[in-house]
This record gives sequence, C-alpha cells and structure tokens, in this order.
Amino acid sequence: MLIPRFNYHKPSTLKEACELKGKFKGKAQLLAGGTDIIPNMKKGVMSPECVISLNGIGELKSNSVGEKNGCTRIGACATISSLIKEKFLLPYNALMTGLESLGSPLIRNMATIGGNLATARPAADLYPPLIAYKGKAILCSVAGKREVSLDDFFLGPGKTILKDDEILVEIILDALPACSGSGYIKLGMRKTLEISLVNVAAVITLDKPDGVIAGARIVMGAVGPIPLRAKTAEKLLLGEKPSKELFAEAGKAATGDSRPIDDFRGSAEYRRDMVKVLTARVLQKALHDIG
Amino acid sequence: MKTIQLKVNGELCALSVEPNETLLEALRDKLDLTGTKRGCDTGACGACTVIMNGEPILSCVTLAVRCHNKEITTIEGLASHGELHPLQQAAIEHNAVQCGFCTPGWLLSAKALLDKNAHPSQEEVRTAIAGNLCRCTGYKKIEEAILAINDHE
Repeated sequence: MLIPRFNYHKPSTLKEACELKGKFKGKAQLLAGGTDIIPNMKKGVMSPECVISLNGIGELKSNSVGEKNGCTRIGACATISSLIKEKFLLPYNALMTGLESLGSPLIRNMATIGGNLATARPAADLYPPLIAYKGKAILCSVAGKREVSLDDFFLGPGKTILKDDEILVEIILDALPACSGSGYIKLGMRKTLEISLVNVAAVITLDKPDGVIAGARIVMGAVGPIPLRAKTAEKLLLGEKPSKELFAEAGKAATGDSRPIDDFRGSAEYRRDMVKVLTARVLQKALHDIG
Repeated sequence: MKTIQLKVNGELCALSVEPNETLLEALRDKLDLTGTKRGCDTGACGACTVIMNGEPILSCVTLAVRCHNKEITTIEGLASHGELHPLQQAAIEHNAVQCGFCTPGWLLSAKALLDKNAHPSQEEVRTAIAGNLCRCTGYKKIEEAILAINDHE
C-alpha cells in the first residue's frame, strides 16, 4: 500500500512546531510514533497536505518528577516501551498495565503516550488509567500553553479537545494519595495485538490502612463513544469497607453506567455483562495494590 | 526527495527517499534487501521487523526519513562471514521454520531480546516475539529455538 504524498516538516524545537501547526492548522498532521497514522494513510483514511514530525524535539520525550509535590510529568512523545521502564511510574499500577497491554512489543517501541491520547479511539488503553488518576494534559500553541483535565479531553471517536493549532506536549499525574491502589484490566480474545472488547481502570483510596473507601474512580473504555466514568458504582463505594460483595454490587452498578454498542467484536449485551465482571475484578486488583 | 545517511548491517549508505516512503520500501526496493517481508503492511503482523538502534521496530510503518543517522540491522545482517547466527542455527535444528515468511521478523525480535538479556525466561521470550505472527508453526518450536540459545553459551 502506498502512502499518499505530503510535504514533510521536522522542526527541532517546540516553538518551531507550534509555528508550523499554527500556520497549517487542520491541513497539517502531527506525527510521533506513526503506528496509527501511517496505517491510516495507507488505507486512505487520512491524506494530510503536510506532516509535522515531532520526533526531533527532545523536550517532548523527557519525563520528570517534581521534588516538592511529587507530581509526574510525562513527555507526550515518550514511547510506550520507554515508559514501561520508568521506575517512577511503578506506583501507577493501572497505567503500567495499560502500557504493557498496548499493541505489541514492536508497536510499543514506536507508539507514544501522546499518540494514544490524540488518536482518541474509544478502546484506547491509556485513557482509562490516566483519567482514573485525574491526569491532566498540557497543550501548546503559539498563543501559549494551557492545562486541561483528561476528563474533558476525549470528545468523541477520533476527536479531542485539541484545537487545530495546538500540540499535546505533556501529561501530568499527581502524586498518589496515601492508602491508594489501582488496577487495569483489558478484555480481548488474545493477549497481544488486541483491541479491547471492554477495558476498566480503577483507583481507590482508603481513609486509613484497612479503613473505608474515601475515594474511588472507575473508568471504562470501549463501552461508549468516549471513556466513561462508572459514577453510580463510584458513589456506592464511598464510605464503605472494601469487600467482595461490595465490589460485586459496584460491578452491577457500573453496567448501568456503560453505553456499549453491538459491533463485530461483541454484542452490547455481552459487553455489559463483562463490565460487571471486570469492574469487580479491577476493584479487587486496586485493593490488592494498596496492600 | 531527501537524502538520508544511515548504517545498514554495518555499512554506511546514502539514500534518496521521498517523505512518503517507508523504511520497508527503501530496504527492499532501493537496497535490494528483500529478506525483510511485507506482510500486512500496516504494523500488525511483524513480518517487516528490523532492528533500529538496538530496538526492534516495524519498518512498514516507519518513514525512511526517520532513519537518518540511525543503525539498522536486517535479517541479512544476522549471519556473519558466511556463518549462520546461533539463532538461525537453532531455528533449523528445532524445525522452527515452515513457510519462512515470519522467520526474519521473529529472528530479529529474538536477537534484540538476547542482545539485552542473554538468558531470557520462557515468559520473556513469549513477550519478545508476541508481535510476530506465524500462521504455520503454532509458535512452540520458535520458542524452543530461542530458549535453546541459553545452552549454546
């Protein structure tokens, strides 16, 4: 398959990249790993007039942990493989599992965290964990930078809050509160090169060791046009002591929060059933992660 | 057209490439290195695997222009001075090759693994080749061939 012709730009600074994106706006496609864009160009799904490679911009690949507040900043062009090796991400269990589930080891060597967010596929692996952690995104344009919550980032399949002159540059994760744990489960027919049938991430925080649940965020993917919070399930958990029965109840409640459709991967009915099962399981995982 | 300079299997090359040209196309059509295969051509099967700066990647979804100043190893670079690489030898000994189409891909994924981890576990081998699909062998003999390298050391 041939890739349609395009004008190619490879800026070496973020400033240059923003100027180019500001100039060409919707006519320019930003390129990082290319594991989604290149296949789409080959299939004729996209045919941009120009392509702006972000791969020459060092600051987009660098990560840091704030000394004062312990908040983690991840460069949008950090590859999935490189993030899996980052020790400071180990506490973010759900994110680590999401990263490890993405694509295949070959895809992970090229794909980027920013790319998984920018492509905005409902079954994306990184949205549920990042939203569960209340993650934020930094967007940059010639007008400056702005911060948005990832809760508001994904607008619809293939659509994000990014304006046509903006570049996603950084993802920020706050330090995890004490007595917190997280988990992510991806359901598919096979362990690799799989697009989720249903996926669920959960972060739970206890008020004290062996205490009651003080905070819960459950995010489901592939069961709606955007990643969905299981808010009914979350409310049910607050103030309660964790137990298998409680998690089973939460699973049932999460079913009502999901909006799956029938597609070639599975029926809406089956997906709802799986939301129930996976939510209970991922809560158990998150609880185990606290210990 | 852009000119890129890169090392392929230890040799310095200068290539004129179009921005919309993939590394796979450059390797097969410009350098006549047809050992790297075009399978799905969309990054899902691993037949196009090559090693770039130590990391196994999918050449069918990598733009050639991205490879400027990089070091690429293709399957042709595995054997040296006419002698098969131990991985290639193991593949033969363990009957890990049937039609052979996936073989260059997984051999390079395995080489990249062994270069970083000389004694991988069964789990680590399985993860390393997870991106290389094989329709013939059922993967068992491929796994055995790679694990057998431990014995050669």
